[in-house]
Amino acid sequence: MSLSPSISRRRFFGGTALTTGAFAIHAHAGDNGNTDPPASPDTTPWLQRLPFAKHAVPLPPWAALDPLPIPAAHQRYDEFAPVKFYNMNVCEGLTRPHPQLASSVVTTYQGSVPGVTFMCRYGEPVLCRINNVLPDVIQGFGSSEIITHVHNGHHASESDGWPGDWFGPGTFKDHHWPNIYAAGDYREGKGTLWYHDHRMDYTAQNTYRGLAGFFLLFDFLDSGDENDPNPDALRLPSGVPDGDRIERCYDIPLVITDRRYDRNGYLTMDVMNMDGVLGDKHLVNGAVQPFFEVERRKYRFRLLAGGPSRFQQLFLSNGMTFKHIANDGNLLPRPRDTDSVYLGVAERADIVVDFSQLPASTRELYLVNRLDQTDPRKPEDELLPWEEAIQLLKFIVKPATGVPDPSRVPEILRPLPDMDTPVVRTREWRFDRSNGMWTVNGRLFDHDRVDAVFRRGTAEIWRISTSGGWAHPVHMHVEEQRVLTYNRVPVTSGPLFARKDVFTLKPGDEMEIYVRFRDWLGRYPMHCHNTVHEDHAMMVRFDVVP
Amino acid sequence: MNDPIHGRPHLDAAARLDRRGALLPLLFAGGAALLGGCATARRPAADPAPTAGGETVFCPDGTRTFPNYLLRDQDGREVLFHDDLVRGQVFAATFGYASCKGVCTRIADSMGGASELIAPIMANPVRFYTFSLAEDSPTELRASMKARGLYGRPGWSYLTGPAETVRSIRWAFGFADPDEEADASLAFHTGMARFGNHPIDKWSSCPAMGNPVNIARVIVALFPPSRRPAFPALDFDGGNGARPIPGFRQVPALVAMR
Repeated sequence: MSLSPSISRRRFFGGTALTTGAFAIHAHAGDNGNTDPPASPDTTPWLQRLPFAKHAVPLPPWAALDPLPIPAAHQRYDEFAPVKFYNMNVCEGLTRPHPQLASSVVTTYQGSVPGVTFMCRYGEPVLCRINNVLPDVIQGFGSSEIITHVHNGHHASESDGWPGDWFGPGTFKDHHWPNIYAAGDYREGKGTLWYHDHRMDYTAQNTYRGLAGFFLLFDFLDSGDENDPNPDALRLPSGVPDGDRIERCYDIPLVITDRRYDRNGYLTMDVMNMDGVLGDKHLVNGAVQPFFEVERRKYRFRLLAGGPSRFQQLFLSNGMTFKHIANDGNLLPRPRDTDSVYLGVAERADIVVDFSQLPASTRELYLVNRLDQTDPRKPEDELLPWEEAIQLLKFIVKPATGVPDPSRVPEILRPLPDMDTPVVRTREWRFDRSNGMWTVNGRLFDHDRVDAVFRRGTAEIWRISTSGGWAHPVHMHVEEQRVLTYNRVPVTSGPLFARKDVFTLKPGDEMEIYVRFRDWLGRYPMHCHNTVHEDHAMMVRFDVVP
Repeated sequence: MNDPIHGRPHLDAAARLDRRGALLPLLFAGGAALLGGCATARRPAADPAPTAGGETVFCPDGTRTFPNYLLRDQDGREVLFHDDLVRGQVFAATFGYASCKGVCTRIADSMGGASELIAPIMANPVRFYTFSLAEDSPTELRASMKARGLYGRPGWSYLTGPAETVRSIRWAFGFADPDEEADASLAFHTGMARFGNHPIDKWSSCPAMGNPVNIARVIVALFPPSRRPAFPALDFDGGNGARPIPGFRQVPALVAMR
């Protein structure tokens, strides 16, 4: 199916931006005072290749960090002594997301947007030094203070990116990422993680300005080698692009974001909108509507809804089915055949698309988002018609070469761990709004207030819910959990029958979640991952104690 | 006193207002023509303001701008929203009304507590504005401030104007409810505060009725780190584990060629 270039429906039907002079544009509000800023300039799709971040490069074995790390600053450092050391700068850079847009100043991890890709393995602990070499003053949106969170990382509190642990230019912070299974259970293994800024009050601005990247984890099962001779290995499509090195790469991270640009093509952000931020340009890996050439074989795509506020329901434009193999980066017990995946902000889906199944005449295919969302508070319930779907990425399908495809998608992926820890209590968490403020249980986030004390090694039921006209993708740090019921219906199959770290609540939804926190102690947050809501106090603190 | 952001002489809004207040009688004595010229220079000729609410106003670069709405403060002085309250200022803005016994009381307590924590920088450069949602008269504003112990505090202004104007200001700061009834309701009015450092276009927001320490932290974070006033009471317990980068020299900001 051939679709017309992506069109912002609001630009045509909703927003009526009127230029009243050289100095101001009056945009009429719709049913409230928040409305879209002026539309971005027109861009021609499919002018550029899909870009990829380079892999993060550890220090060579003979090099050492200066000054040396302080082991005592980290939990269980000696037990999980780092075998790889990274020295990463957070610095300003220029990025041009499309040839018809300008180069904008952004904030980067190691000069890259998205940030450099971490390729890590279970059993190989890492220490990453993150240096803040930003300027003192960042004009406009964004903060020069940072704190990095590995989303879905099973990390000690001091290395997790607690929002209040931000640090300024001229300082560094060491993050110890031990890369261990929760409770030592391989069934707790994770695959597609991402890292991003988590600076309190400025997470939306800093991530919008560029501070996000992929963090991939491999183990004996999901080994990252489709030719792995180990009989236990899944041999999923493998090979993660490293910058321009994309030969024989079939494991493709895709972060999908939306942004807005001013009339001169520079990145802009309406930081005043309390509901959230929606862009009218759709980017994949930091490029507006790029193309990607694929061979007629299987590919693994690691899809990430990068936000800050847009939900996605992703299809292939010909309606073909694919294998859904991981939810939130965690391999499912069995692959699911489906024609779409639904992603709240920050959710991930790993899928395997077999392009060899396409007719020989098919040369083009699109990854599209059919979820209608013109309001940052929530997406609509209905899908966009195919002809209005937002085209994100164009696949150019190369002719068959006859080269064999050694990859596969086994019927058994990663079993779910047992929920065998006795439940000691149930807690309610209501994500709500009061007097225009985002609240949890009617309270506002307070860095210094502990909202829940959780005894390490126990289990609890957390019932999370929302009301009103808002959707909230709720994210729990440090460990994934299991959804027991969704709107009081037991979850025994489908995409939610998985380990999760983001629990997307639509208006009026309720989920019961089996919660465990093991291995690490300290303070962690749970928050809405519409980062605009998060920045405005929709967050709680829980402390894991011995 | 030097502006802590630019290092150049700083004239805060209150000082300018006071100066204008002092000059006005002289202008009246000196002649109507001079007054007219001054008024023209200061008022609607360069004013992009809509006369009614219902619009959000954006600059061409996609950021919001702030029309020169005419307001009055608790002492009856005329104030221009953009020229006097926003342009060049570091400020916190909240919304309320004089007879409010609910949300406003909590806001006053929290914001009052925050202002005490950052007392040395109150008035210059940090200013606190509350915009009346109920077209209160200056007399009512003054009485309300006195009742809450805020009248005469450095840097505090309570401002009033037509309801549609204040609604536009509220919407410009992003405080709108999608439910029209709730949006117009005084009983459920916003408890959020908008914080701005206009010279560097830095904006943030947090609940105005929360922990004063958190509010004060947000305000202080409006300043660039190297020029940030130090308040030990606002430090986080236990620190963040960060250490200085050896030999670090401050990095200049990148500027995109335009």
